Amino acid sequence: MNTWWLSNQILIQSTFISLLLALSIQVPLRAGVFSFAGIGSYAIGAYTAAILTIRAQVAPVVAIGAGVLLAAVVGYLLALLVARLSGLYLGMATISFTLFLGVLATNGGDLTGGATGLFGALSTLTTEHVIAITVVVLVLLAASERGSFGRRVDAVREDPQLAVSLGVDVVRVRRRVFVVSGALGACAGGMNTLLRTTVSPETVGFHLVVTALTIIIVGGAMSWAGAAIGAVIFTWLPSILQFVGEWQLLVYGIVVAIAAVYVPGGLLGLLQEGWRRMRRRGRRLPAEGAVAQTQAAAAVDPEKELAALAAPTTEVRP
Amino acid sequence: MTTTEHPGATAAPPVGTTVLQTVDVAVHYGGIKAVDGIDLTLESGRILGILGPNGSGKSTLLGAITRLVPLTRGRVLLDGGDYSRTPASRLAHRGIARTFQTVRLLPDLTVLENVQLGADLRLDRASRWRELVRRAVSAPVAEAIERTGVGDVLDLRPGELSYGTARRVEIARALAGRPRVLMLDEPTAGMNQPERIEVAALLRRLRDEGLTQLLVEHDVQMMVDTCDRLLAMNQGRHVAEGAPGDVVRDPTVQEAYLGKRWNRAADQ
Repeated sequence: MNTWWLSNQILIQSTFISLLLALSIQVPLRAGVFSFAGIGSYAIGAYTAAILTIRAQVAPVVAIGAGVLLAAVVGYLLALLVARLSGLYLGMATISFTLFLGVLATNGGDLTGGATGLFGALSTLTTEHVIAITVVVLVLLAASERGSFGRRVDAVREDPQLAVSLGVDVVRVRRRVFVVSGALGACAGGMNTLLRTTVSPETVGFHLVVTALTIIIVGGAMSWAGAAIGAVIFTWLPSILQFVGEWQLLVYGIVVAIAAVYVPGGLLGLLQEGWRRMRRRGRRLPAEGAVAQTQAAAAVDPEKELAALAAPTTEVRP
Repeated sequence: MTTTEHPGATAAPPVGTTVLQTVDVAVHYGGIKAVDGIDLTLESGRILGILGPNGSGKSTLLGAITRLVPLTRGRVLLDGGDYSRTPASRLAHRGIARTFQTVRLLPDLTVLENVQLGADLRLDRASRWRELVRRAVSAPVAEAIERTGVGDVLDLRPGELSYGTARRVEIARALAGRPRVLMLDEPTAGMNQPERIEVAALLRRLRDEGLTQLLVEHDVQMMVDTCDRLLAMNQGRHVAEGAPGDVVRDPTVQEAYLGKRWNRAADQ
């Protein structure tokens, strides 16, 4: 275990960071908001952490926290700006936001290090920290998927007008989603920069959009668990697929295409469906048995049947 | 199923008090006057029915009253206060619940969760936690389930329900918020006769308990049996209003929509 842990540090770190990155797309998607702003926030977090660490030598928690805060504010402003957009148009607008930040980083002069980026962002951030932060995020997101909050977010996604008629302030939910998405993306970006000690426009480019989308399409877009499954698969698949060499991208493409066409709920959707069927089968059988038993008893003893009818009925739910 | 009490139920005003009013409400889409100058008054503890042929503007009027459709002209008043500029999502908090012309249940949630959605706006933090941790169902939800008789299908998804049952789940969702005013847009469309009778009986029982209702329906017999007052519309305009029997006998209404045979329905 220990040697495995040490020799796979980079992959373990990447798993959690790409999970947070994917969640920055998944959270808006769950509320029906097709936004890639989380990827731009990744860049904001990455550069903020690098600049603060190199220039001011602040603690990692401050460097990452500042990026998270900044990206949350930017997310809120962006939400106001694109309030009237939805669907593909919103997707395009937020992708251009991401590309715009890339251009900003390339032309940021000394502050962002231009096309070569920034180096030497040394910090004390460890893999354990990353895991701890991710777990906290996952617990919060898992809670947000349950109970009244989860239901209302579902309503915002599936039928915004219905949600409004049920008292949900849909506009506010959408704004908040941009803020959360920004914070998640920036958190991933900041941690990645501090682990790798470097950031460049290349590392925060368009390929992250593809990565994040791939993870949630294959894993399942409607829950954090889907993103977790996807993050594990797409971080570890390349090392497993080494033997196919240059054909790797083709295998990727096929996996994504199959998932998008045949498994719209992702792997998680498949698992949930299977689980539901199993549970239902398990429950139906004893219920039928119970009915048969009472019938048999009634046939044997009519007096007992009368007594049972007279007694207060106890409700039996299958 | 454990239940928890929660606040939300408010004391009903005496029967016959004006709860909701529209004044000269109009909704125009370009040149089309979907609703054109409707005045109506909803009195507490009574059922007002809106009658009219397809495309007469009934559903648009309901949309305007619930603020989902913007008003071109006119005002809407709740307890005498103008809410023409209040966001639609606030209305649910002020005790107005509605159903829609088509079934609008969330496909990925169970029936229970769909009903709970109707009560969520009134959940305080404590009951929210109770529900999350102990899976307790709040009293209004349990009551709404019981009244609409959907207790047997709580674990199913909307896609597995018959049309009539799905519509009853929608009524349950609307009731779960313990509204003061319930607006139903063709609640029995697609139901069979026994189901219609059952729903009509439920609405009357709710009325007798003080729930104010606005009912949009095609089924004239049901309207005559259920409503305290009727308002007939045609092409967005007010045609007749009054006691159900009088309205369905009104020559203008008959010409617009009903046909002579509804004389008999009114006489029963």
